Amino acid sequence: MFIADIRKDFYEVVANQRVVLLVAPDIDALCACKILQALFHCDQIQYTLVPVTGWQDLGTAFLEHKEQIKLLIKQDDDLSVPSYDDIFRDEDEEGEDSGNESDEGSEPSGKRRRFDEGAVERRIERQRAKREWEARRREILFDYEQYEYHGTSAAMMFFELAWVLTKDTKDMLWWAIIGLTDQWVHDKITNMKYVTDIATMQRHVSRHNHRNEDEENSLSIDCMRISFEYDLRLTLYQHWSLYESIYNSCYTSCSFKLWTLNGQKKLQEFLADMGLPLKQVRQKFNSMDMSIKENLRDVIEESSNKYGMKDIRIQTFGVHFGFKNRFLASDMVHATAALLESAEKDDSETDNFIKALDALSRSNIDRLHSGIELAKKKLIAIQQTVASCICTNLILSQGPFLYCYLMEGTPDVKLFSKPMALTLLCKYLLKAFVHSTRNKRCKLLPLVMAAPKDVEKGTVIVVGIPPESETSDKKNFFGRAFEKAAESTSSRTLHDHFDTSIIELKTEDRSKFLDALITLLS
Amino acid sequence: MDASEVEFLAEKEMVKIIPNFSLDKVFLIGGDLGPFNPGLPIDVPVWLALNLKQRQKCRIIPPEWMDVEKLEEMRDLERKEDMFTPVPSPYYMELTKLLLNHASDNIPKADEIRTLVKDIWDTRIAKLRLSADSFISQQEAYAKLDNLTLMEINTIRAFLLDTLNCMYKLRSNLQ
Repeated sequence: MFIADIRKDFYEVVANQRVVLLVAPDIDALCACKILQALFHCDQIQYTLVPVTGWQDLGTAFLEHKEQIKLLIKQDDDLSVPSYDDIFRDEDEEGEDSGNESDEGSEPSGKRRRFDEGAVERRIERQRAKREWEARRREILFDYEQYEYHGTSAAMMFFELAWVLTKDTKDMLWWAIIGLTDQWVHDKITNMKYVTDIATMQRHVSRHNHRNEDEENSLSIDCMRISFEYDLRLTLYQHWSLYESIYNSCYTSCSFKLWTLNGQKKLQEFLADMGLPLKQVRQKFNSMDMSIKENLRDVIEESSNKYGMKDIRIQTFGVHFGFKNRFLASDMVHATAALLESAEKDDSETDNFIKALDALSRSNIDRLHSGIELAKKKLIAIQQTVASCICTNLILSQGPFLYCYLMEGTPDVKLFSKPMALTLLCKYLLKAFVHSTRNKRCKLLPLVMAAPKDVEKGTVIVVGIPPESETSDKKNFFGRAFEKAAESTSSRTLHDHFDTSIIELKTEDRSKFLDALITLLS
Repeated sequence: MDASEVEFLAEKEMVKIIPNFSLDKVFLIGGDLGPFNPGLPIDVPVWLALNLKQRQKCRIIPPEWMDVEKLEEMRDLERKEDMFTPVPSPYYMELTKLLLNHASDNIPKADEIRTLVKDIWDTRIAKLRLSADSFISQQEAYAKLDNLTLMEINTIRAFLLDTLNCMYKLRSNLQ
């Protein structure tokens, strides 16, 4: 639904009714859901929360609640929508005095000899403009359907709504920040957009920080404090040991090539270069010596510049409440993602959803810590899988793209039957491959990855990601490509996920699907 | 009685808030709550204040006694005296807990206040324990304690009554 003014057209309409909230299973949607729940609690609006995992689920949920529904709110990462005016234009542009932009452009050329000639000229101009506009429209629509990419974080949008209603709190701000960081961690938005959005959030953060704090009357230590940090890109490093974090973070692991012996030696050199004794570095971060911890960020930045890692520091936010609890936004994203997709046998999807949702509130720190532990296991599993795939040359070049299949016996393969985890693995694998291969052409290829999803039903989950490049705009064309390939070979596929570049496929149809994809993309 | 029941009774105490919405006079069974005007302070019971605060509709103003200097004086007085000194409010402990848990951003120096109130509570409970101990060991029949709050009485009630019952049984068995 297209909305111009989120407060009037959305919130006030919803305010007096019962609402059904259908939420997609990713962190941004979870954060947006929390913000919306908080707003509903403030105004005592009744709502029903339904987690949906795909289009089919959405359909069933809609049918269940059909009698009571007048308006649905569905959140997922906003697949970007081109601006309203570019596509739909009011049809009453035929009138003589319509203020057409290109028309205005031609007016100042001053040819106002006689009214008739002027009118004819204007009509020709307008027709030409209309043809151009139609061509542009076709192009935009083609782009829109061809590519899939993400727009602004839903959590941020709802935070803006809360701000407009002046009901924004630090909790909501923190959730919006987590939503934005989720988009960055899972590589859904470009660097430029991330930095721009961070700047917006930074304005809100400084506004909140100046609200209550005085020289004399400082806030209780239990109050939540959000701060802007220019912190290291090492995942979970404050909740792990520094060594483990460097070893298992995508950025450092790919730059050092830690799957080779040489790489590990380089890591030791790097640590020695910074003067960090191995014993310290392998300890839990909180137990490291204070003298080391104080200048850690600067020291690491200096050394990593020498080893070719220019972006080891990233702009992000951290939260701090109580004496013990300090978290970075990316920590929370990884913890919640791990909870959401935990592959335990007896947890249903809804249970996982509720657990992940709980972990986002401040009162459930235990949940969050268990999420962090799960996230550590997940990262270690990803690192090991990446290392084994590269060392055993499991990535094959199929011509227009690279392909990798995770066999059933691979350790932790159950972890990768979930879409977010598999996508994360995919991205790390592609980065690692680009760093390890010498073939120039292969570096520019996209990657398609398949992993077994359900052994009894015999399905695999297939994910496609665009090629790795510095200036990538994160547009993913695999959605359409998968659809067309499936049609042409009549393979049994399920295009259920909200993210169209992730599909389910029957194992037997795998080879013909691949062949079709190759012919389609070459 | 349970500690949570005492807290429930404590929620009837009045506290000053500054609402940010407007509402006409509300007629409740327990009494009327005056018209709410944004920006003008008004007295409401604690239960309503907390509800409004959680819905971000008001700002709570800490009661007068919830001030670092006053509490420090009270704590020092309590430590000097043998008897119980008059309390700032008959529900000081519960109010401190409720207000500091839900509205600590409206209360300046919340951490110090929490520590001070806890100090006062500890001193009073220690005195109570001493007094109960001497009551039992000297086998008194009658004791008078001024200025005790319901929460403190409630803390010792179960234990004291059980002890006295046990002692009575023991004594009657002896005879």
